[in-house]
Amino acid sequence: MNWQVIQAIAIKDIRQITSNMQVWLAMVIIPIVFCIVLPLAIILASKYGGMNGSTEDMIRKLIEKLPAGSMNLSAQTDVNAQIIYFAINYMLLPLFLMLPIITSSVISANSFVGEKERRTLESLLLAPIRIKDLFLGKILASFIPSYTVTLGGFILLGIVVDTMTYTMFEGLLFPSMNWIIAIVWLVPAFTLVSILLNAIISARVKTFQAAQQMSGLIVLPVIMLVISQMTGLMLISPLILVGIGGVLILLCFALLPQIARMNSRSLLFEKQIH
Amino acid sequence: MTAAFIQVDDVHKSFDGRPVLNGMSFTVEEGAIVGLLGPNGCGKTTMIRLLNGVIEQNSGSMSVAGMNPLADGDDIRRISGIVTEGAGLYHDMSAVDNLKFFSKLYQVKDKSRVRELLELFDLTEHANKPAGTFSTGMKKRLALAKALLHKPKLLFLDEPTNGLDPEGIRLVMKSLLELNERDGTTIFLCSHVLHQIETVCSTYIFMDKGRTIVTGTRSMIENRYMKSVELVVETGMLPAGDRYAGYPVRKEGLNRLRFSLPGKDAIPALLRQILADNWVHSAEIVNRDLESLYFEVRKEHA
Repeated sequence: MNWQVIQAIAIKDIRQITSNMQVWLAMVIIPIVFCIVLPLAIILASKYGGMNGSTEDMIRKLIEKLPAGSMNLSAQTDVNAQIIYFAINYMLLPLFLMLPIITSSVISANSFVGEKERRTLESLLLAPIRIKDLFLGKILASFIPSYTVTLGGFILLGIVVDTMTYTMFEGLLFPSMNWIIAIVWLVPAFTLVSILLNAIISARVKTFQAAQQMSGLIVLPVIMLVISQMTGLMLISPLILVGIGGVLILLCFALLPQIARMNSRSLLFEKQIH
Repeated sequence: MTAAFIQVDDVHKSFDGRPVLNGMSFTVEEGAIVGLLGPNGCGKTTMIRLLNGVIEQNSGSMSVAGMNPLADGDDIRRISGIVTEGAGLYHDMSAVDNLKFFSKLYQVKDKSRVRELLELFDLTEHANKPAGTFSTGMKKRLALAKALLHKPKLLFLDEPTNGLDPEGIRLVMKSLLELNERDGTTIFLCSHVLHQIETVCSTYIFMDKGRTIVTGTRSMIENRYMKSVELVVETGMLPAGDRYAGYPVRKEGLNRLRFSLPGKDAIPALLRQILADNWVHSAEIVNRDLESLYFEVRKEHA
């Protein structure tokens, strides 16, 4: 492993990413939607009675399903506070996971397929660098900005939620244990799976658009998680989040042999360069 | 006898069942400037990629500086530089950032090397401009600077003069000659624009349909394939008919006669005879340029 090469590729890529308008848009708009607009809408709707009776009923039924350990929730007598508590800690969390998935997909698709589109992959493959170092550099270049954006979004979300709910809860509502596990364990795992899948997809497709379309599949598990919260099928708990993260890390290991197969320089060259 | 710097023996390569190389064989001596010549699509670029170990041959063997491109690809790429047809530069990055990035990939420790090369290729005042705004000639020069960052022992150039204006071609060719003379760099260049490279190459490999048809120095190829000599003589002599001294002759213009001779050996006697009759200011063989030779070779191997 040549750290100088990995670092050079990662820094070059991060510079290119931050100068790409399409990537910037994804990195700015998505956190605004998921970390400002969405929580604000939830809190304001609950506070000022924007929710209709059926939504309230649905959420109340879900709250009843929560394990007895959710003392914080049952401690809230105000139904609006209960709804906000539930929405922020259970429903918003899976939606927030879309943030690292979308940003890492946009960045990694740009990073891997971008070299082909710019016709610079040939220069990289003709340089005396190991393909493993090239991949590591690119994975790092996708992981660092994606995680930074997500972390920024996490902090932004915390500021919005706690500012709006401090008086209501007489303390900090955010971050709960679920959120802490999400940011330190689940987000890195989701980001890594998303990057590795994109690396595999990018090696098979020819354009940035095609890579992005294919990588759309990665959001499926998150959608399932959102649905399971709404229906109360599997309400998230620290244990479930640790479990999901574990499964994702195992998935990363399962993807590694596929990545290793792509490590053949000649295969990469013949498939990608004409 | 010392081993050749590059040795290629009966190399075959096909892509998806479509044969591209059908038995390439040649050798290149260290310090030579070799021209790999052939029509578009005959496999020149594939040959360069094989020698760099970035693709694998189906059969045959190769060695570069005593190393096997398949097993020692990184070691070969460490001692070789390459200018590809597409230049392979990052258009959104400045010239200096492109060179700094590739310096890291090629483990160049000398910090002054980037400035030195920008100066050598007349790019200093454009150092901070994005490479995408450069003209084709400037991009080619920057690509050449990139290829020379690590002072390679071997330089591969794929169509180095494509898209260059006459001044650009002269600058590139001059740089290559200087590099070869000063550092003894072995230069392997492929092109289909023959007259542009004939001033620099010491030896040639002619290829067609994926195979070598002839290799050797210019004079070796000339002696083997130049069946007749077309000699244009600037003289005041006026031949009586369409033959003179036993050779066919025709007027090419004012005071210019074109003789068709069986070989170079016939030139001294012919000139002596013309001089006995009239003045002679110049005599030039006009069918010895690389392009004429190339067509002669291809005709014979068709």
